[in-house]
Amino acid sequence: MFGLIGHSTSFEDARRKALELGYDHIAAGDLDVWCSAPPQLVEHVEIKSPSGKTIEGAYIDSCFVPEMLGRFKTARRKVLNAMELAQKKDINITALGGFTSIIFENFNLLQHQLVRSTTLEWERFTTGNTHTAWVICRQLEINAPALGVDLSKARVAVVGATGDIGSAVCRWLSVRTGVAELLLVARQQQPLIDLQKELGGGRVLSLEEALPEADVVVWVASMPRTLEIDQTKLKSPCLMIDGGYPKNLDSKFAGSGVHVLKGGIVEFFQDIGWNMMELAEMEKPQRQMFACFAEAMILEFENCHTNFSWGRNNISLEKMDFIGEASVRHGFSTLNIKPQVHQAAVA
Amino acid sequence: MQTVETHQVAVLDRPNGSEGHLPDFNSENYKDAYSRINAIVIEGEQEAHDNYVSIGTLIPDKSDELLKLARMELKHMRGFTACGKNLGVTADMKFAKEFFSPLHGNFQEALTAGKLTTCFLIQAILIEAFAISAYHVYIRVADPFAKKITEGVVKDEYLHLNYGQEWLKANLATCKEELIQANKVNLPLIRSMLDQVAKDASELSMDREELMEEFMIAYQDSLTEIGLDNREIARMALAAVV
Repeated sequence: MFGLIGHSTSFEDARRKALELGYDHIAAGDLDVWCSAPPQLVEHVEIKSPSGKTIEGAYIDSCFVPEMLGRFKTARRKVLNAMELAQKKDINITALGGFTSIIFENFNLLQHQLVRSTTLEWERFTTGNTHTAWVICRQLEINAPALGVDLSKARVAVVGATGDIGSAVCRWLSVRTGVAELLLVARQQQPLIDLQKELGGGRVLSLEEALPEADVVVWVASMPRTLEIDQTKLKSPCLMIDGGYPKNLDSKFAGSGVHVLKGGIVEFFQDIGWNMMELAEMEKPQRQMFACFAEAMILEFENCHTNFSWGRNNISLEKMDFIGEASVRHGFSTLNIKPQVHQAAVA
Repeated sequence: MQTVETHQVAVLDRPNGSEGHLPDFNSENYKDAYSRINAIVIEGEQEAHDNYVSIGTLIPDKSDELLKLARMELKHMRGFTACGKNLGVTADMKFAKEFFSPLHGNFQEALTAGKLTTCFLIQAILIEAFAISAYHVYIRVADPFAKKITEGVVKDEYLHLNYGQEWLKANLATCKEELIQANKVNLPLIRSMLDQVAKDASELSMDREELMEEFMIAYQDSLTEIGLDNREIARMALAAVV
């Protein structure tokens, strides 16, 4: 059995969803009630791979909402309690979705292995970052050429290059895709220099320097909310892959010639009888989902019950190969730019 | 999914602000609050003892087993009494008796009426979940002596919770209606008890929010174990909120 730990995109959405699901006590409550609300296993789901194999899974809502980010103890409890619930339900492999993997990493939850009487078994959990990184790379390889960008001549900016997903994307793009040049952008300089050394190339730039040079921008880092970008200075066409969370790039770049693609999203080959992806505002919630969630499904299909993506900077090309091949085999495809948009762009 | 907005990053980059912070066990404020919290715990264990003995009178064939549980509660009571002594605190038992009196009254009423389901709900679900959740939170911030005692108690408490659960589970078909009704009456009492101790608990570094969450987890687990579904539990839990 696979598991997905998720949360609503806002407090308001969460209350609405709770009401729909019949969780009246939580729906009626204010944020303090939500801060005290236990995680809920809200949905069971069955999924059949094109290979014929059927797996079962469960969606656990951590009852975390982004409004709780300022309360670190609350946020930490939400994630640990959801993980404990997943383990108590004997779920083999559970993906930490949305903010939960970020909270796990940044609040150092590895130090909190004992939750009440449960010792969390880390091998039951995955961040799903390997699949997310692979999906972003494939989205780039498929969509940039479709927009008329020749990757062998293209400069690709990776914003958040030193993060877990960002560094994996850089490794893949430099070794497998063979882009002309990588523009490495991140907040801290030393990890950037280390990455540059590891890659044997790439140019370290500030965001402002990198954007006007980039044919493709992969965003896997936080974008300053106040960031103002002069769109006239961007290349046209320019592919922006929004691999961050939450996905809010399209509101910043609405101009012609700039194409924003939701990064790290996959589509299953057939409808899944679940409701939970509506929470994540997917365009086709019956089929589309975060790649990190899909990683738990793929690992379950493959009987690979291990914390496949774990810790920071452990994503190797071999792991990306493994998860990528399995992803395709089990009926997942990457989200791509819509044909009509693409035609308009090329024309 | 690995990224966040910068204003959120700022929050996320500042983890564990008061992490590892234990209260000053010897401060006057701590001891004052402890005199009431410790009394509640001692009284709670005493109530539990009495309640299990009483439940035994309603199911005589199980009375031996219940007596065993009751004795365990007395052992806990002695442990917690030692915790107070260790800190040089005199438990405010008068406060604790008043604190438990509404729930105590409801239990006695149910007992007189032979309402076994209500008795089990009050003792084996609500009081036990309240105790376990408070102990879980307390263990994280307790003095070393009390921590050890409390850890031992938590292990035992799970046995009690299971005992009540097993009976309610086996009899769910006939006791569900009474269970839901009794919950409606008694769950709000737990909520108000929590509110009453929130200030003292906070002096002991126990957050009200965390206490409530731990309680809801134990309560939800317990009702799930009995065989209620998510919606039924949600409806029952509503009594704790509104």
